[in-house]
Amino acid sequence: MEDVQVVAMLVRRCIAGDAAAWEEIVQTYNRRIYNICYRFAGSGDDAEDLTQEVFIKMYRTLPSYDHTKGAFVTWVTTITRNLLVDHFRKTKQDRMTDSIDAGTSEHEDAQPLSEQIQDHSAPPDAHVRSREVGETVHAALGKLSPELREAVILRDLQDMDYREIATVLKVPEGTVKSRINRGRAELARLLQRTYRQVM
Amino acid sequence: MPEQTSSGMQCHEFDGLLTDALDGLLSGAKLDRFQAHFRACPACGPLFAEAEAGRNWLKGLTEVEPPAGLVENILASTTGIASDRLRAPAPSTQPRVSWLEKVQAWFSGAMQPIWGTVRQPRFAMSFGMAFFSLSVALSVAGVKPSDLRQISLRPAALRHTYYSTQARVVRYYENIRFVYEVESRVRGIKRNLTPAEPAPAKPKDRKNDTSKEPEQKQERNYSQTENQLILACAPLGLSVNDLPVVSVTTYRRFV
Ligand SMILES: [Zn+2]
Repeated sequence: MEDVQVVAMLVRRCIAGDAAAWEEIVQTYNRRIYNICYRFAGSGDDAEDLTQEVFIKMYRTLPSYDHTKGAFVTWVTTITRNLLVDHFRKTKQDRMTDSIDAGTSEHEDAQPLSEQIQDHSAPPDAHVRSREVGETVHAALGKLSPELREAVILRDLQDMDYREIATVLKVPEGTVKSRINRGRAELARLLQRTYRQVM
Repeated sequence: MPEQTSSGMQCHEFDGLLTDALDGLLSGAKLDRFQAHFRACPACGPLFAEAEAGRNWLKGLTEVEPPAGLVENILASTTGIASDRLRAPAPSTQPRVSWLEKVQAWFSGAMQPIWGTVRQPRFAMSFGMAFFSLSVALSVAGVKPSDLRQISLRPAALRHTYYSTQARVVRYYENIRFVYEVESRVRGIKRNLTPAEPAPAKPKDRKNDTSKEPEQKQERNYSQTENQLILACAPLGLSVNDLPVVSVTTYRRFV
């Protein structure tokens, strides 16, 4: 995914105060971090603020990055994930305390997804339609518990491998796979219900 | 979750292999056992279908575009300096902004919320009243309303409010002693100023033309209320310069 030597050099230049090196890091990773934040937090405004926070934290802790312990992108993603978890604990939207086995079914009926999406009775052109589907999936993703949500985001949207995800989430690989299975299945159930309602 | 051992695989093992199965990484005996459990287990069969569907939904999500200016904001909040490369034109090629332009820009920015408030109907009403009294003062001082119009002190919305509430405004002013006082002093000033002029312009619509009584005397005969009404209607387009004091009777008809 990244040339370890190149990134290590970039980080060293950054620490030495090379502004251009830091800008290169920002240019390389801002899109990825923003997307993780957006899919996890749900809103573009939150994602923008959180992305800035991630880079501020990265900038301060850059000297602590050890390239022998893992890829830079894993380190960056870990910072991002930790900030997202902190953010959700602060904003009281945190469902981390829900046990995985309890699922999220008690939250699902509070606000049906069909209320969050536009009228599907008169399908417009394919482009608009696919955008609406994207918004529906995004809304459904926001209904997953945070631990299932982060697992599927890192796997299915960021294409990270299970070992990397396990490092970021600090749980065993088996747990990562289990959460991914549950996250995907839960999402499918939510969307199945939505599309059965509106169609 | 029921444990299914008849096919030689338990549910937790199936769960552990599910991601690999969806990634197409299972083969041989492992795949056979996985499929046997999938067919036999009432819990794991649906789980496989749902996990596959969920993954497909997620794969359909496209990457979103970060907002414009994100990188610049990040750089500003970390290094504290804006990136040179990100600035489209080099700073040296940008036109110099004088301090006066900066002050003007700041002032217009500061005025923005005030104008927003003024445009609201209830403030427009107050503003209309303020404008009305200003018109009176300016008219008395010899400034024509047409001059005011040129400096656009009358937004269209204001004008409407002004005319529609004018009658009420007139009544309102009748009750203010202060206005009477100002008015009488202004009249005194005018009296002192006008004698140098030739005879006031001929009354346009004069009826009681039988006497050439001095202005002062004639004026004395009018009640304060009437004078008030005259002044009140002045901003309708007539300046006091056009209103010789002798011809007050004529202009009363406007009220
Ligand atoms: Zn099973």
